[in-house]
Amino acid sequence: LRGVCLRARGFVFVTLLDKEKATEAGHDENYESGSHAAIRAVGEPPARSRCRANLLMVSNGMTAWRQLSIAFLAMLLLAVVPRSSSGQTYEGRELVQASLVADVTAIVPGKPFTVGLLLRMVPNWHTYWKFPGDAGIATEIKWNLPPGWKAGEIQWPIPLKLNEPGDIQIYGYHDEVLLMQEITPPASFAGPATKLLAEANWLVCEKICIPGSARLQLELPVSTQNARANEDLFARYRRSLPQAWPESKIAGASWKRSGPELSLTVVSAALVNYPVIDFFPLPVGTLVVGHPKTERGAGGEITFRIPLETQDQKLSSLSGIVVFGQDANGPGRNAWLLAGTAPASNVSVALPSSFPASSGLAKFLLFGFLGGFILNLMPCVLPVISLKIFGFIQQAGQSRARILRSGLAFAAGIFAWFIGLAFLLIALKSAGREITWAFQFTNPHFVLFMSAVVLVFALNLFGVFEISLPQSANRGLLGWTAREGEAGSFFQGVFATVLATPCTAPFLGTALGFAFTQSGWTILLMFVAIAAGMSSPYLLLSAQPAWLRLLPKPGAWMERVKQLMGFFLLATLVFLLWVLGAERGVEAIIWTSCFLLALSVACWMKGAFLVPTASTAGRLIALVLMLVIVLGSAWYFIGEKFNATKLVSAETQTRGDWLAFTPERLQIELDQGRAVFVDFTAAWCLTCKFNEANVLEAGAVRDAFQRHGITKIKADWTNADPAITKILKQFGRPGVPMYVLYPGNHAEPILFPELLTQNLILEKLETVSPHVAAE
Amino acid sequence: MKTKLLTTLLTLAASTALFAADSPAVGTTAPDFSLTDSKGKTQTVSQYKGKYVVLEWFNPDCPFVKKHYGSGNMQKLQEEFTAKGVVWLSIDSSAPGLEGNLTAEQAEKKIAEWKTKQTAFVLDPDGKAGRIYGAKNTPHMFVINPEGKIVYEGAIDSKATPNPSDIAGSTNYVKVALEESLAGKTVTTPSSRPYGCSVKYK
Repeated sequence: LRGVCLRARGFVFVTLLDKEKATEAGHDENYESGSHAAIRAVGEPPARSRCRANLLMVSNGMTAWRQLSIAFLAMLLLAVVPRSSSGQTYEGRELVQASLVADVTAIVPGKPFTVGLLLRMVPNWHTYWKFPGDAGIATEIKWNLPPGWKAGEIQWPIPLKLNEPGDIQIYGYHDEVLLMQEITPPASFAGPATKLLAEANWLVCEKICIPGSARLQLELPVSTQNARANEDLFARYRRSLPQAWPESKIAGASWKRSGPELSLTVVSAALVNYPVIDFFPLPVGTLVVGHPKTERGAGGEITFRIPLETQDQKLSSLSGIVVFGQDANGPGRNAWLLAGTAPASNVSVALPSSFPASSGLAKFLLFGFLGGFILNLMPCVLPVISLKIFGFIQQAGQSRARILRSGLAFAAGIFAWFIGLAFLLIALKSAGREITWAFQFTNPHFVLFMSAVVLVFALNLFGVFEISLPQSANRGLLGWTAREGEAGSFFQGVFATVLATPCTAPFLGTALGFAFTQSGWTILLMFVAIAAGMSSPYLLLSAQPAWLRLLPKPGAWMERVKQLMGFFLLATLVFLLWVLGAERGVEAIIWTSCFLLALSVACWMKGAFLVPTASTAGRLIALVLMLVIVLGSAWYFIGEKFNATKLVSAETQTRGDWLAFTPERLQIELDQGRAVFVDFTAAWCLTCKFNEANVLEAGAVRDAFQRHGITKIKADWTNADPAITKILKQFGRPGVPMYVLYPGNHAEPILFPELLTQNLILEKLETVSPHVAAE
Repeated sequence: MKTKLLTTLLTLAASTALFAADSPAVGTTAPDFSLTDSKGKTQTVSQYKGKYVVLEWFNPDCPFVKKHYGSGNMQKLQEEFTAKGVVWLSIDSSAPGLEGNLTAEQAEKKIAEWKTKQTAFVLDPDGKAGRIYGAKNTPHMFVINPEGKIVYEGAIDSKATPNPSDIAGSTNYVKVALEESLAGKTVTTPSSRPYGCSVKYK
């Protein structure tokens, strides 16, 4: 009967197959003497002694039937009524004593306080950590709070790492543990006292494992002020919580995945002198991790190697704690919490509520049109556009039909590129790829190709050679692009548009961000709208040639301006080379330049020898030589040398007081309630560079960042880092630039427009709470 | 400096030893063992080549094992799949004197009492099979295909609790793995984190 009564308190789920065994007396008496210290929070007598009292009563000469019914009643009562503390008993031994304790004497409405589940285990028995290891189950707490109350996450103290025979490694707690949670009562809460109800489930193991469960309650008065309670207990367990990842003490931390192993390398002077350093993983979902090993390398490097049993090749990091101390499982250990990337939901928590709704297609199409129009004025397009303007100047006196044809051809070039791009993106999207604006610039071979085109174009403008299309009888003053044959106009349109993509104009980002999440038709419509916007001025000028009179008269000055434009194109080339350098390093620039030099020689040969005045044989030799030079240099400098260059990691590109972006870093900063500004940029993004030079690096803005204590993070998307793509998507942006300010204290992030102004930034920085800044 | 070096070496040595005992990966060849079952017959994995084989680590006193036998869940699975030609081996790796260790007689009694439906009940008191497979939990499940490759390793289902009422709302990974394999499909969840009591090795 004693068994029945005791069993009732820590109700055991599986009774069907359970068999009673002999009680080991004596042991639990020892335990009892030291077990009640922390259970006084509510003042109710501990369950155990009450049950004893029942037993005494029961044994006073009652019939077996009455004994049984009383025991049954007691069991019902005890199972249903929540208690301040509850014992789990197995075969007459009390294995776990559970109770709720608070760190305050009373509840103050609106003021958070901490409640802990205190589990006291008999010696040698353990309950489990958040990640139990190879066996076991984490302790679970289910709160049943009044409406409007909030319970935070369980704060898990650093666990012990325990080994059992057969290479079984588990993480858990011996003797006693306090699992703390922050409870926030609503400010409007009123009442003389309240009961907080929780159900706790745990598994306690020694040689055998027994699940336990308890419904617990904590009764606290409600007051306007309170004092601290259970100070020593809470202080002790707060000290044993893992601390936030201390950026300042860590010189470097990086994850590496190689096949079935994940390794974390940490460089920190604060760590190396501890004899015991360990990584306790916190895997999510069904992920199976092996036992992490610690290795010490040269220069204070510590590498944790974690075997994985997963097919998921994308898994590249893990949450966990780095535990260090004088001895394994010793009392003086410390730990740092490293939040991994794993769940995407972690980061997406920080989305603005003003996320564009998927309605209002017309509005976004208008944005696309406006964005397309403004693209004409963006710095990357200007050299080409100015040539188009030249075309119009030249045509001023010509027939209306011809002007219209040429304007239409130019517009057709713009449309062709955008519609082609739309189809490509739709195809990529249906193939499950992430699609983004200006994605082609993340491909170094595309940038290389563009460099060659820009150089050839510039040489043409300088007059080194002229391009002769077969049917061109009357060669114009300005060569092929300005010749205003329809084909020339068409390619000019294509060219202008290709150069336009690294610039994201205002409105364009919003419009594309919307379109990219929609169906293929919407993407197509959006690109048509952008093409329409970009070509609208030319279509208008072509349709109304009278307006051309407003442009200056043609003349010899145009030849000089044309050459000047050649230099603009060379400047564009410098920019493209710089992009290549950022993507592939200095060597890539050198080899590309070698190829471009050979290409220039070929162009010069074309201008000098491949002319109608030369003999057929001479022209043939020149042509063969040119081909040899171009193909040979392409094979050697590009095929052999350029392709051997390696991707440059984003880490090495971040300079100054900006931190390089990793999702973990951002998450850690945000978890600590810090204010963070993230600059999503790319080497090939001119709008980004403009914003950085004129706004973000401007003295006033730099000072303001510093004054408000804002963490500055640079997310470099030059090589299309998928982790960054993901965040861009979450904010509904198709690409860079993107600027996000997290005001700290878990407030909603602020999304800035693509073109920044100093005032815009300074204004928003004022909203960052000074409290956070002070920290 | 010396102590640091020593610690490093010790850590390394210890961790290599630990590493060696991890479970064989999904997709690799299932290791073989030769043990006696409760009826005195020899049981190996290799003798069942050409058939699907389920290995189930068993401990009659573990609440997580009781969860699945007490509810009849495990017997139902055993019945369903042995009827489809799948070989089901329950393995008890508890060492003598520790929880769950059974003699052949006790095992036969348990089979009768719980009405279990496995092909054979394998006795592994030395923990040989358990250690080769890196079995850490009861129940810890493996599914081996007719080519002798492991196609599933891990928990029995998706709800890691000792509470039988959680069975209804859970996904039974072993059932899914067997159904998918038998239908010629690849297994969607080839591994999961096993849950339960630790295997009671010596």
